Amino acid sequence: MTASGVSTHCPYCALQCAQALTPVAGGVEVDGRDFPTNRGGLCRKGWTSAAVLRAPDRLTTPLVRGTDGALRPASWEEALDLVAERLLRTRQVHGADAVAVFGGGGLTNEKAYQLGKFARVALGTANIDYNGRFCMSSAAAAANRSLGLDRGLPFPLADLGGAGAVLLLGSNLAETMPPAVQHLAGARARGGLVVVDPRRSATARLVEGGQGLHLQPVPGTDLVVLLALLHVVLAEGLADAAYVQERTSGLADVQRSVAAWWPERAERECGVPAGLLRRTARLLAAASPTHGGPGAYVLTGRGVEQSSQGTATVTAAINLALALGLPGRVGSGYGALTGQGNGQGGREHGQKADQLPGYRMVDDPAARAHVAAVWGVAPESLPGKGLPAVELLRSIGTDGGPRALLVHGSNLAVSAPNVDEVRRRLRGLDLLVVCDFVPSETAQLADVVLPVTQWAEEEGTLTSLEGRVIRRRKVLDPPDGVRSELWVWSELARRLGSPGVFDTDPAAVFDELARASAGGRADYSGLSHERLDTGEALHWPCPATSGAPHPGTPRVFTDRFPTPDGRARLVPVDHHGPLDDVRPDAPVYLVTGRVLQHYQSGAQTRRVPELAAEVPQPWVELHPLLALRLGVEDAAPVRLTGRRGRLTAAARVTDTIRPDTVFMPFHWGGAESVNLLTNDATDPVSGMPEFKVCAVDVQAGAPRGARA
Amino acid sequence: MTRVVVVGNGMVGSRFVEDLLAADTAGRFTVTVLGAEACEPYNRVLLSEVLAGRYGLGSLTLPTPQDPRLDIRLGTAAVAIDRGDRSVLDTDGVRHRYDRLVLATGAAARIPPLRGLAPDPATLPRGVHPLRTIDDAREIVAATLNARRAVVLGAGVLGLEAACGLADRGVHVTVVHPAPALMERQLDGDASRAVEAAMGSLGIEHRVGVGAEEVVLADGALTGVRLADGEVLAAQLLVLATGTVAATALAADAGLATDRGVLVTDALSCAADRRIHAIGDCAQPPEGGSGLVAQGWDQARRLAALLSGAAPAVATRDATGNDVVRLKANGLDVVTMGVCGSQRPDDKAHRQLRLSDPAAGRHVEVVVSDGVLVGATCVGDAAVGADLVATYTRRTPVPADPAYLLLPALPTGEATTAASPADLPDSATVCRCNSVTKGAIAAQWEHGSRTVEELAATTRATTGCGGCTQEVCDLLTWLGGRTEASQNVPMEGEMRFTPGKHTIHSAETSAS
Repeated sequence: MTASGVSTHCPYCALQCAQALTPVAGGVEVDGRDFPTNRGGLCRKGWTSAAVLRAPDRLTTPLVRGTDGALRPASWEEALDLVAERLLRTRQVHGADAVAVFGGGGLTNEKAYQLGKFARVALGTANIDYNGRFCMSSAAAAANRSLGLDRGLPFPLADLGGAGAVLLLGSNLAETMPPAVQHLAGARARGGLVVVDPRRSATARLVEGGQGLHLQPVPGTDLVVLLALLHVVLAEGLADAAYVQERTSGLADVQRSVAAWWPERAERECGVPAGLLRRTARLLAAASPTHGGPGAYVLTGRGVEQSSQGTATVTAAINLALALGLPGRVGSGYGALTGQGNGQGGREHGQKADQLPGYRMVDDPAARAHVAAVWGVAPESLPGKGLPAVELLRSIGTDGGPRALLVHGSNLAVSAPNVDEVRRRLRGLDLLVVCDFVPSETAQLADVVLPVTQWAEEEGTLTSLEGRVIRRRKVLDPPDGVRSELWVWSELARRLGSPGVFDTDPAAVFDELARASAGGRADYSGLSHERLDTGEALHWPCPATSGAPHPGTPRVFTDRFPTPDGRARLVPVDHHGPLDDVRPDAPVYLVTGRVLQHYQSGAQTRRVPELAAEVPQPWVELHPLLALRLGVEDAAPVRLTGRRGRLTAAARVTDTIRPDTVFMPFHWGGAESVNLLTNDATDPVSGMPEFKVCAVDVQAGAPRGARA
Repeated sequence: MTRVVVVGNGMVGSRFVEDLLAADTAGRFTVTVLGAEACEPYNRVLLSEVLAGRYGLGSLTLPTPQDPRLDIRLGTAAVAIDRGDRSVLDTDGVRHRYDRLVLATGAAARIPPLRGLAPDPATLPRGVHPLRTIDDAREIVAATLNARRAVVLGAGVLGLEAACGLADRGVHVTVVHPAPALMERQLDGDASRAVEAAMGSLGIEHRVGVGAEEVVLADGALTGVRLADGEVLAAQLLVLATGTVAATALAADAGLATDRGVLVTDALSCAADRRIHAIGDCAQPPEGGSGLVAQGWDQARRLAALLSGAAPAVATRDATGNDVVRLKANGLDVVTMGVCGSQRPDDKAHRQLRLSDPAAGRHVEVVVSDGVLVGATCVGDAAVGADLVATYTRRTPVPADPAYLLLPALPTGEATTAASPADLPDSATVCRCNSVTKGAIAAQWEHGSRTVEELAATTRATTGCGGCTQEVCDLLTWLGGRTEASQNVPMEGEMRFTPGKHTIHSAETSAS
């Protein structure tokens, strides 16, 4: 596809499909642009993305909550003075950690970096975390522990094309990032796509007609599937012994731990027939290099990661990949499919409670010294580890917890688990400041709303799911009254009397980010907007050099793993199952997920007329046998009741879901939010909440309007 | 510091130690393990896989925690318990003092009373082997090198798995079982017939309802097995799978009550001495011992919770699902749970439904009570078996009509064939990425779109993942044919008989 116009990328997911945007009267025109990830293709969200620029309720002026409780327009001067004054007062009375910051995986690298710096330097608070905690934290924790590095895909996405087998766990990419399906064509043609999902999702349907296998486990038991697959690989002598010997440590303990997970026992826990588990393990092994196969991949998504055993599940996936000799081999590997647009870059540059830029740890003295020097402050002035997202949200507004919260690029009032409690907590704050471009559900709860730029109105970079740093470019001016967040932080820093410099030019901020990341795990020091503008494909790490520029690293781990001994670690893990499990008064599992037409909390896509018209509201998917038992007809209301809340939505009866499970998409707010029910219990390692499975009672609901 | 001595380092003893050390976050315990076998703990359940040649012995080794609180003595058995002194004497003459003693001594293979066999397992003739330990498995595998024909005596789970394993190795196997049904604790006659038929297709013979009487020997080696009806089955290998005897001698000698096993309370302790516990195959809890490892592991978990204080004094007993019996054998899909077999109690509240399909080797029975699955037998249908286990162990409500449980709830989708364009309704989505329906494409055809590119420009079909390109081509071809047909009636006959032309046309379209 040839395209004129400005070269940039889609505003939504981590696939970051390449687009060409042409300014036209009243907005921009979108076209697909050839690029290795999307090959010119766009999904419905990408094609219609320009509509968000013209959202009729676009925020164009700061809003301040008046004494009457309503938000009223205010000048930037007034709003920023107010915010600064109240932040200073909060800090004086309650201490620096009483101001908290919540970021987002959709922010550009520049903004993510500057937000972390703003929190540590201008606010002096340890309490900064972000919605990536709900997204990539389990995959990140497991990859760091096992492989020494967390780069979602440690290889270019297009590498998948040559594989003989792809094991996809907890990802519905045919709905969440449709153009990525192209890269599965090779594995499908070889009969090697294996999809693990309690639903026969659009992605699971890709295996039909002999193109692979679909494993449909009981929700919350994906870990058991993986333990059984590894059991078969090791017990049947299918592992890559030479690779395991040369490149890993810890096999003996892991082999013993999975000796207890023979397929028939696993079947009892996960509901997947033992024979299918064996067949899957053998299929993966046959495609692996050690058996002369064309290559195999193990990929995980949120479906298995958003669990109280999410880190363990990803660890088991990595163990399986390591036993088969996949990571670090060209044409094979393990990867996590990053979700949010900048979910990768957003977790590398300092938005996380325990991290500084360059994927450095905040409690590492050398990291602190390096970053403090770049920021021009004393290392001891930098705060330490803050609270991870769920704990942070639980503590806000409570005695001893943060009293003020700044929210950037996140719609917590829809996207957080156990969301009614989060809404209560947000209302209990002394000060809630939300930066957004539309009046999201969270913005509507704020004391101060600051209107900021979006997507085609700004310059910056994002790091896509394959670790490639790409340019987002400005196509048109933002509406009058809208400012960039870089400007907002610079203004606030000045008012707060902050040390350090807060640049407002994205290219300058990127250069500073590059210096701050130098020597870190995610080293961007060899990159600049100028270099990226040449169109060169640059994946991090890309360190600065004195001679010829570093070519970037499309494939990591090829020589060694960035661990102290250069080996990947096999780490034993075990299964405990969902913390909110089925019981007589809640005998049905609830799982959640996305639909093609909407993105995350829906704040953007629900404002795109075409998308909103197609999928205007959520529904509850249930099996005909469950519907029959409850006397629920298709499209009739059903009521879900769980430990944390209840809701009513329309039934969608389909035999693609297990009879013991219901599904509901999560893109809606208010009484339509499935997060009223989801569990905020967390993974002990990653802090990831258990979004993906809880127990509910399901009943035929009263028709709309008939409720008391 | 609480001193715990564990006698037995098998599947249940070693699991208990793992669970206890994990639960002991305060570091209050020291644990001494006496393991009679010289090797590390291993997964006995998988011995039949070794027999089948699928697994190496190394794959069976189970975890042993590396922990300063733990002292493991391999190849050291317990000789006696001195309850007054609260100590255990081992074969090395060492005395181990305990505050808590956990007996996990397991069970030994039962040697059946056949003529020609002494009850002492150490004196079995050549060619006769029980299957209980890793050494037994090793010896049987060695014996298969010279054995063309084998008899497996006893058709419980172990016997059937062993028979399948030997058959996988190419040995001609006959299963001999005195009861009227195979796995008679789990299967009734009809279910047994279905399994017998499946065995037949694997080349495994059976003699059901006939016991063995004598081992026929020549020069001290097995040559055959004489049955109660006089038949002599020629065999160079006899595998004894005739049940187990709980190892209770240590407890009995110490004056503790034993029956089939060491009698223990709900708290898994001996009534006469609450410092002494028994778990696994050596124990006989109030609900009876099942001989299944799931029960033993559940006991290990509960006892660890009790001792570490992580649970109330009497841990809740959640035995649901511990009685699932799943045959692990290539080509035989058998799973049973709860109420099953011919010995089941007659309960008026039980609703029993069955699907009998001998020709397909399928037999499914479900027992439902109060809207919950309380028992099931499933032969020859792996998918239904897996669904039933999930339903049974989680006690999820059954369908309004429990007959639905007899068939798979989830179509596999493997047989799906693409519908021809003519069969699709107008509302059918052709391009998922961009939500384009057949109707929308047909409408654009009417407006003059004739190629994939033109349709892409007007509808965005094919502009996402591109996976629907072929479908769109087929649709274009069909739309073209439909138009031609309606405009030129004489063409109809040609169209019907020369579809090849149109196939070529669609290939050109997709390449353009």
